[in-house]
Amino acid sequence: MPDSLNPTVTPTASTAGQPVRFRGGGFTVKRHPWAALGAFAVLIGLWEGASRLGLASPLFLPPPSAVAHALAGMVTDGSLWLNLKASLARIAVGWVMGTAGGMLVGFAMGIFSTARAVGVPLVSAFFPIPKIALLPLFILWFGIGEPSKFATIGFGVFFPTVIATYSAIDQVPRNLIRMAQSFGLPWGSILRSIVLPGALPGILAGFRITASIALILVVAAEMIGAEYGIGAFVLMAGNLMQTDTLLAGVLVLSLLGLAIGTVLSQLERRLLNWR
Amino acid sequence: MTLARLTRRALIATAGAAFAAGTLMSAALAQPLEKATVGALALSSSGPIFIAKAKGYFEKEGLDVDVKMFTSAQQVPVAVASGDVDFGVTGLTAGFYNLASKGAVTIIAAQSRDEPGFPLSAYMATNAAYDAGLKTPADLKGKRIAITTVGSTFHYMIGLLAHKHGFTVKDVTMVPLQDVPKMVAAFKGGQVDAIIAPSTVSRQLASDGAGKILGWVGDETPWQLGALFTAPKTMKDRRPLVEKFVRAYKTALAEYHAAFNGKDASGALVKGPGYDELLGIIADATKQKPEIVAAGLPYVDPQARLLVDDVVNQVKFWQSEGQVDKSLDPKSVMDLSVAGE
Amino acid sequence: MRLLVSDLTHRYDDLTVLDGIDLTLAEGEILAVIGPSGCGKSTLLGIAGGIVAPTSGSIRVEGEVPDGCLNPITFIFQDFALLPWRTVEDNIALVLEHHKLSAAERRERVDSGLRRMGLSEFRNALPKQLSGGMRQRVGIARALAVRPAMLLLDEPLSALDAQTRELLMDDFLELWRREKTTALYVTHNLDEALRLADRVCVLSRRPGRIRELVTIEVPRERRQEPSAQAHLAEVRGRLWHLMKAEAQMADREIARA
Repeated sequence: MPDSLNPTVTPTASTAGQPVRFRGGGFTVKRHPWAALGAFAVLIGLWEGASRLGLASPLFLPPPSAVAHALAGMVTDGSLWLNLKASLARIAVGWVMGTAGGMLVGFAMGIFSTARAVGVPLVSAFFPIPKIALLPLFILWFGIGEPSKFATIGFGVFFPTVIATYSAIDQVPRNLIRMAQSFGLPWGSILRSIVLPGALPGILAGFRITASIALILVVAAEMIGAEYGIGAFVLMAGNLMQTDTLLAGVLVLSLLGLAIGTVLSQLERRLLNWR
Repeated sequence: MTLARLTRRALIATAGAAFAAGTLMSAALAQPLEKATVGALALSSSGPIFIAKAKGYFEKEGLDVDVKMFTSAQQVPVAVASGDVDFGVTGLTAGFYNLASKGAVTIIAAQSRDEPGFPLSAYMATNAAYDAGLKTPADLKGKRIAITTVGSTFHYMIGLLAHKHGFTVKDVTMVPLQDVPKMVAAFKGGQVDAIIAPSTVSRQLASDGAGKILGWVGDETPWQLGALFTAPKTMKDRRPLVEKFVRAYKTALAEYHAAFNGKDASGALVKGPGYDELLGIIADATKQKPEIVAAGLPYVDPQARLLVDDVVNQVKFWQSEGQVDKSLDPKSVMDLSVAGE
Repeated sequence: MRLLVSDLTHRYDDLTVLDGIDLTLAEGEILAVIGPSGCGKSTLLGIAGGIVAPTSGSIRVEGEVPDGCLNPITFIFQDFALLPWRTVEDNIALVLEHHKLSAAERRERVDSGLRRMGLSEFRNALPKQLSGGMRQRVGIARALAVRPAMLLLDEPLSALDAQTRELLMDDFLELWRREKTTALYVTHNLDEALRLADRVCVLSRRPGRIRELVTIEVPRERRQEPSAQAHLAEVRGRLWHLMKAEAQMADREIARA
């Protein structure tokens, strides 16, 4: 036999046998904590390089250094804090109002079938209306002060919260409710001890979405006569064609989104450690 | 083969256009037309461009000009800066000067002006503010006024008015609401004391009884509202094109001026030669009724002369407001070598 | 506490799941209910526990309840039905929360349940940290905390592995040795029925009717002895014969439908 041709497969002495080849591996998710940062760094580096080499016009794509400079300007003249404070207050009030209302209605729809029968078509009808299209109406209803801004954000947050809440209540395991009933727990206790905590994961997932919506809508809300606010700042930079300032504002918005996301992740980890 | 076909198609198109215009057959047939685009708003202030196009003045210069319509004044200089269009005509804003300061656009000739006797933009007071004593434009000091955006023409109009009556923009509260419909909503809702509104809007509001017209910007503070502009690169590399374009534009401008801008001894506007024809052209292009167009036709200089001092003043105003970089030399935003000033 | 079921019928829409059930549980008796899947065993239990309303027929209980009984008829569930967000002790305390009890008694009921089920050291654990057997022990401790007069057990061991099942059967035997609580025990496992029940009720395939009620003559505590094996084997044979026929026919009907 020509052993030399295929030495590993030939069944030679029984003492040697044949090693089992490893064929698992791959298809698993590994953590690469620095990969994302690295990719960002490379991207920013390329961007800056392209500007420095004159490949990209500073008007069309301001280099990161110009954006950083604009951002630094906002920090030193205090306008960053002024704008951020105004926007955060609007987001907070609008979001809290929309969320409180949405959860109330969502709970009613999750628990009472009549409320659901009435609510589902209404929500389906009103949810897709772009809130920006309603701004002139909001001005008439709520004026151009803070109330119309709260309303813009609140309305935007309200409908997704309703949907998230009643869907979350649907996700509460029925067997737990049956269990509670079999032990004679009163209606209110079942709601408090079972439905509310059981719906919490779904509601918190909804918060993630509504927080982003609030952030998007703060820009729309600040179209209405806002003196300060990150949204107003971005709009003004756009109107004035100050593209570096524009991107600095957008950067602040996205950092704000990142911060809110992180807070929500912490909250989830805290409240949902039982999962 | 390709060249032949192209030429034939160009000839047919040219012949058709020339026939429509009713003249200029021989001039057009001489050589293929050079393509050019101009960005404009569907407003009567863009009238001379529509006239030059409809009456074949561009073709006479050997140009095949495509007019691209935009919906806001801000978009036009951006389109010029990005090379989407070769020329633009629109109102001058802080955003425009910022683009100019980055070398993206330059003014080459005048467009419309606010002039006494030409009602373009009105100062309007709500009924409540009027009853409370807001009777003249000078009373706007200390009031809340809705504008579209910071850096807009409305913003500058307030600056001019303030300067004339010895106050500053800091003495009024400007409420930026992004667009005219929202300004009207805030005005009707009594959220502001006043607005500066285009003539059609202000006349509508006044006839609805929603407010009172206090006066017209043209009467109060004449200024260079708009301009014809292009990219400095076009000016450098395609100067013959710019020359042809401006020549055709000036022809239309003169015709527009003669038809619409004439006054009699008492200062009232009178209809000039070709009034109805030109009005029809503008009404077609702006998709407005002729009587509405007629009510808001702006003044243009027949020679396309720019109010240079006013443009310098605009730049200085924006610089003092912090909207435009202080290092910008006001003279550098214009290149009037072609228009001949 | 005794349970009296008479002429009980239950339908879901036009699907009859239980048809004419007559059944009596004596004081302290443990009745196993077996039958093929879908025969209505769990529905019967739900009706007995008052969480499913029967279409017709009556279901009643009679007799004394033990001292300190808070919930006479009490369930033990197949899937344990623990609140995943509550610790072991809070899961037990849940069913006491709506009763007026002194803090000391509350504590005592929770503690004694934990102690009896060997859960004292896991009192602060969350359900996800426990094995299946441990979770069911929490379920049993929770049931004991209300001092029930009758237990309704819905396949309580079917989610568990074989060894855990053996261990928990021992726990049940110990519980019934001490408490003598009447119990209705639904299962599809013959071993559980033969180890734990006094009588076994075989339900037919759907619509569930009582095929036969078999009494196991040997007392529970002597069923591990060699002398009992012959009888148990005979009962097992009979039960399996009944079950097998029903299960096969049920399978065919499902295949046809």
